[in-house]
Amino acid sequence: MEPDAPAIELSGLVKHYGDVRALRGIDLTVARGQIFGFLGPNGAGKTTAIRVMLDLIRPTAGAAHVLGLDCQRQSVEVRRRCGYLPGELRTYENMRAGDFLDYIDTFRPERRDAVYRDELARRMGLDLTRHIRALSKGNRQKVGLIQAFMHRPDLLILDEPTSGLDPLVQETVAELLEEAVAEGRTVFFSSHVLSEVERLAHAVAIVREGEIVAVEDVARLKARSVHVFEVTFGGAPPSFAGLDGVREMRRDGRTVRLQVGGAVDPLIKLLARHNVLELRTEQPSLEDVFLAYYSAQTPVAAGEEEVQRASA
Amino acid sequence: MRVPSIFAKTLRDQRWQIIGLGVTLAAIAATAVYIWPAYEETFQNFVELPPAVQALLGDAEIGTPEGFLSAEFFSWTPVLLIVLAIIQGTGAVAGEESSGTMDLLLAQPVTRQAVVVQKAAATLLALVLVVAIGYVGFLISVPFADIEISLAGLLVAVLNMLPIAVLFYALALWAGTAAPNRAAAAAGLIALATAAYFVYSISNGVDALRGLRYATPFYYYGAGRSLSDGITWWHAGVLLGIAAAFIAFTLWAFQRRDISAGGGDVDVRAALRSLNPLAR
Repeated sequence: MEPDAPAIELSGLVKHYGDVRALRGIDLTVARGQIFGFLGPNGAGKTTAIRVMLDLIRPTAGAAHVLGLDCQRQSVEVRRRCGYLPGELRTYENMRAGDFLDYIDTFRPERRDAVYRDELARRMGLDLTRHIRALSKGNRQKVGLIQAFMHRPDLLILDEPTSGLDPLVQETVAELLEEAVAEGRTVFFSSHVLSEVERLAHAVAIVREGEIVAVEDVARLKARSVHVFEVTFGGAPPSFAGLDGVREMRRDGRTVRLQVGGAVDPLIKLLARHNVLELRTEQPSLEDVFLAYYSAQTPVAAGEEEVQRASA
Repeated sequence: MRVPSIFAKTLRDQRWQIIGLGVTLAAIAATAVYIWPAYEETFQNFVELPPAVQALLGDAEIGTPEGFLSAEFFSWTPVLLIVLAIIQGTGAVAGEESSGTMDLLLAQPVTRQAVVVQKAAATLLALVLVVAIGYVGFLISVPFADIEISLAGLLVAVLNMLPIAVLFYALALWAGTAAPNRAAAAAGLIALATAAYFVYSISNGVDALRGLRYATPFYYYGAGRSLSDGITWWHAGVLLGIAAAFIAFTLWAFQRRDISAGGGDVDVRAALRSLNPLAR
């Protein structure tokens, strides 16, 4: 292992399943000591890339390195130093949660730490004496998270870690990620939820259709993020043409649907001067984010948007 | 020395099967031994059985204790071992893969070969334990019953049940690796075992089919012969050799293919394609 090697290095990673091109050439470098989000819609290739790193599947072309180790030739060493949470977590139904964790612990006896494991279970609120078959989806996810965290791996690879968890436990997971990073370890997690990545990650790669479309600091992504508002007015809706960053998406009688990029304050100020019956806001979809990303990237698209806005 | 984890878990998971099947075999063995005196009189009246009846019994001389136990015990109880072997063989790779647990197992610092080898070793030991418990049935009955038969000969005959079970384990392991769908692999193997048993039993009686029996593993098992003549080493060698080849082929195939992710549909065609050395 090279001590200075990045946590993850994917170069030209391609994976075909028959005619399906799951990965179309992924290049990605993840530095150590950070929480890195892997953001994309379902089916974008996130899980495929992760499973290549663990040598569960073999790339059609390209190479993957984790902590400076070749993911295929040195796969055992890679897995020794990684904690992995599968996206479709399946464990042995007939085992008690604690026995299952004991079993996973036997693979890394040198890293066994029962005290830390019990602390994780306590913080997540999981009863280790229960049979896995009797656990809810959220509690199973906790078992999966604990087995990934309990040996304090140098790199955590988590596929959709907060899926099925209630908000309180999600908060605990966020703390655990921060703690891992504070100890100098690295976290790589996938998600299809933008807000989650914004909340947890320091940096993010956006993946779509097997390609990385952007790698960003989360701070910059936030600055570029869009909000969608649906406003129903008591009277005729005003014009939004003069507002910076506001785009009118649809107007249906007294209801207007707006997309706002950047600060929302000017819009709020304008709405305050009118009779608003209802105001709803939506999580922007990933597509909105991509659109926002591309429109910011390409001046042509931005120009078109200007025209659209002017004509609205 | 630490017991390898996968080996230990695989063995532990089979404990009830081992005990249940072992006790069943022991009970059948002891029962057969105890009823022998009652049958003995009847069979001694036959100088020669009708050829068709004799054919169904294979080479066994039913008027002797060896022939009787061959027919009543050794001719068919390997089928029980074969069922265990198929359950475990298809469970080892296909079972873990279709239930989705293989993903997490192979994310641990173990090689794929180690997974297969540890599981295979555990089931081989399980089969040995089953026949050992079964042999106890003879140990607790032969000395007390009115039967003249060698316990050493019975031990040899009991051990002779293992190679054919190992062969079906290897076939099941390979089938489950080729088509990582446990139900399909198990169904295919059970059909194969049944067909082989059927072909073997009819080929003994029908001269035209006599050549066919050499193609069935049951011929090399040779139920009746082992008790009177001991193990035919080259027959056991054929069974174990084919088993070893299939285990080697499983290791090779499992090493180079993709693991299917949790629980979803298994791409059988892609898995089969991965077994083709010419495809890339």
